[in-house]
Amino acid sequence: MAEKKETENVVPLLFPRSSMSTENNLTGSWRFLKPCYEEKTAPCSTACPAGEDIGRVEMLMTQGMFKEAWETILKENPFPAVCGRVCFHPCEGKCNRGEFDDPVAIRSIERFLADAALRNEFNPSFDRLSSRKEKIAVIGAGPSGLAAAYFLTLLGYTCDVFESMPEAGGILRWGIPLYRLPVSVLRSEIARIENLGVHIHTGKHISQDFLKKAQGDYSAIFMGCGHSSTRRLNIHGEDIEGVENGLEFLGKIRRGEKYSFDGPVAVIGGGNTAVDVARNVVRLGGKSLIVYRRRRRDMPAFDQEIQMALEEGVEIRELLAPAKVESNGNEYTLTVQLMKVTGKDIDGRAAIEPEGGKTEEITVRKIFKAIGEEAAESWYNPPGKNKSIITLSNSVLVQNSKGSVLVFGGDLTNKTKSVVHAVASGKEAAIALDVLFKKGFDAIESGLETCTVGEGPSLSMEVYMGGPRCDRTHHVVVYDEINTDYFQMASRVSQPRLLIEERLKTFGEIDLKISANSAMKEAGRCFNCGLCNQCDNCYFFCPDLAILRDDGPQGRHINYDYCKGCGVCVVECPRNAMVLKEENQ
Amino acid sequence: MKRVLEGSQAVAEAVRLAKVDVISAYPITPQTHIVEFLSEYCAKGTMNARFLRVESEHSALATLIGAATTGVRTFTATSSQGLALMHELLHWTTGARVPVVMAEVNRALGPGWNIWTDQTDSLAQRDTGWIQLYCENGQEVLDTIIQAFRLGEWVNLPVMVVLDAFFLSHTYEPVDVPDQEPVDHFLPPYEPKFQVDTKDPRAFGSLVAPNAYMEMRYNIAEAMEEAQSCFQKIEDEYKGIFGRRYGLVEPVYCDDAEIVLVTSGTITSTSRQVINDLRARGEKVGLLKIKLFRPFPVDIIRQILKSIPKVAVIDRNISFGASGIFAQEVRAALCNLAGHPLVFGYIVGLGGRDVTTDVLEDIYWRTKNNNVPEKESIWLGLQEV
Repeated sequence: MAEKKETENVVPLLFPRSSMSTENNLTGSWRFLKPCYEEKTAPCSTACPAGEDIGRVEMLMTQGMFKEAWETILKENPFPAVCGRVCFHPCEGKCNRGEFDDPVAIRSIERFLADAALRNEFNPSFDRLSSRKEKIAVIGAGPSGLAAAYFLTLLGYTCDVFESMPEAGGILRWGIPLYRLPVSVLRSEIARIENLGVHIHTGKHISQDFLKKAQGDYSAIFMGCGHSSTRRLNIHGEDIEGVENGLEFLGKIRRGEKYSFDGPVAVIGGGNTAVDVARNVVRLGGKSLIVYRRRRRDMPAFDQEIQMALEEGVEIRELLAPAKVESNGNEYTLTVQLMKVTGKDIDGRAAIEPEGGKTEEITVRKIFKAIGEEAAESWYNPPGKNKSIITLSNSVLVQNSKGSVLVFGGDLTNKTKSVVHAVASGKEAAIALDVLFKKGFDAIESGLETCTVGEGPSLSMEVYMGGPRCDRTHHVVVYDEINTDYFQMASRVSQPRLLIEERLKTFGEIDLKISANSAMKEAGRCFNCGLCNQCDNCYFFCPDLAILRDDGPQGRHINYDYCKGCGVCVVECPRNAMVLKEENQ
Repeated sequence: MKRVLEGSQAVAEAVRLAKVDVISAYPITPQTHIVEFLSEYCAKGTMNARFLRVESEHSALATLIGAATTGVRTFTATSSQGLALMHELLHWTTGARVPVVMAEVNRALGPGWNIWTDQTDSLAQRDTGWIQLYCENGQEVLDTIIQAFRLGEWVNLPVMVVLDAFFLSHTYEPVDVPDQEPVDHFLPPYEPKFQVDTKDPRAFGSLVAPNAYMEMRYNIAEAMEEAQSCFQKIEDEYKGIFGRRYGLVEPVYCDDAEIVLVTSGTITSTSRQVINDLRARGEKVGLLKIKLFRPFPVDIIRQILKSIPKVAVIDRNISFGASGIFAQEVRAALCNLAGHPLVFGYIVGLGGRDVTTDVLEDIYWRTKNNNVPEKESIWLGLQEV
């Protein structure tokens, strides 16, 4: 049959086939739209007062690069183990994933990384600028003072921290209860700051004379004395024995003083201190009753803390304003004025007024006052406004006539009293001082604007120091800009906790650790908004093979000789890390 | 071995025996059984082919053009709207000179939505450069599919094997399914005359300027012309091995006939009975079955019909504004013959309406009783609406 085939008709076969390389056809000349790699800003990082590069942390975490992920946090926040436990995580509230299923459990991952770093004794590498001659004193070794010292040291300054208490940590050491923040965790984080070269002088009495002398010895002084004094109720009987200040009580517990309660204990106030006091009391045998003059929803304490307090049996009585306290033997009668809601105040909380003459008597075995704190000394606070003062987002900078500079930060200046706001304050102060020393007083505000995360007010030390994060645009990625075709619904990791029965018997940490496996899986839920995670969709989809891989930080570039500007790469980028621009822009 | 098979399975069995390498298709009634059988063969390992699922007929054919360019044997099947969706790529297949084989189950185009048989879908693609072969029964379907690969690969043109919806695709008949060995002998593995070769890169289907385009088109026209004699040789060989031969066309009682019915598809089978009945009553009637529609076998048709006084072309299709498509082609084939026959055109059976022996006999009498055609197209069996 083979022979037969050779005699078969020969059929003409002329058809278009070219041996010329298609590379001769520079299809890029057709382009009028131009795709570019352009990393943007994730909403979580703008919501984080410390401006942490959360999208990148989660990306590195997903890749199993725990040390690098942890170091990425350390660029913006010296306290990942603390914030991984006690932060009220505003980041999660802005997480785009929240519109898809549930926000990424950012705080749980931060804690996992910080704990992994401590457990494995990771030795972080820091980017530091060269040494500066200026020396800076920090008053108060709380979170804002330690953050200021940390960032100033990274910027090349020598820092001395002065602390009146026998151990550093401020509110972290003497306020926040052990069940939220074990002391060993705090000590490890402070030790890392000391290892960086920060000198912490504890047990140092801080007086106005000391401050005056320091102004001679140092180029600048950061005032981070915090709010350690409980506000007065200004009612009859508030000073009788047995009526205590909540914050002092928390400090005594942390110093190891023994307390035990029997029967009802009233805690007056609605902030985090009030909730912490109430939760301590239930652990010491008492029955806590939070008495608050507005409604529960108006309480300034963080929601999650209130929720856990309720789980532990704390009772909240709302719309009750304390009117007077009387002692009768080993009991106290707290007379409260019933309040009613009349509208909204400027913060959106309930505006209230007494409801006629209606009162109620509450009999308790003990009363704690926790309606808020203030500076222990009036001279801790920044002076009133004048032209040598700059009021920044989280700090106030005062240039006095002698040339040395005072910066007030932390709770002294922050509207929201939180650890992460204290960190933001320390960072802002450090950058402001660096700008001041290098470019002068008038350059401070514009200097801070160069390193905002998105439109601010959060600041990035990495950006200020010229790290790769500089290349991000300020555009904050919104949910609609995520190509959700590339993501699958996945449930958020649930935070394992001690049983309520166990919580009531011990001061042991409530939040338990999550496994590396679940932390990586959780990080994998992150959209990495605006960041390239090298998924290669652009590479696979490009119809012109115009995406070329390279060894640069981006890992790839566009060959504009052939890119027709079809934009498929931009559309298929799951996380909006590309942009399509008009050709001539 | 004789088996009782559905027409669709006759197609699938032929594709299996042809050892096709790549199949891509999108399901559409009444073609679906074909791809169901094939996907099952692939899944079970009865066939060693890649079955590529796609999102449309357009993609199915695009897939096969790519696959065939790499030098492998390819097959698809479709119907009606699916074929219409392939239209752009039907032209491309031809221009790319890749021998894709397709089973096309004739189905009416919508709307009105209709899944029954009607030839307009495939005939509307007559200018795309696909060879078209119309089949009458399950056995012919099986044989023609196997032959189609030989033919397409020989002339480097795509081949469409056409079968009526339901009357053929879904009807069970005894079919002789050959053994693999003689089929392998008849249809050896595909030896492509060109193929993608990464060691010798080429661009396929590139821009062709006016100075060469016309030559390429002429080249396709020549290949198409050549296909007639190639198919005859293929049929000779097939008959030698398998004992069956169908012809480009099949004349029945044409030698002394005064009227010849021209048919295609399953109407041919019914017509065979009608002409036998009429012959028994002394009527001089013949039958010409057209199997090869593209290329249209003009010379053979002229040869057979040149001395027949009247020809009745039966079309289960309509080209609106013209006439039945087979009638057009037959008229065109005959018009340059001096004293050519009169051509009567009848439109019947659209959208799957039955074409019974009564309808066919009516066509005979109308043709006999009229000296000239009343109209170019006579629509039969229209009801009051």
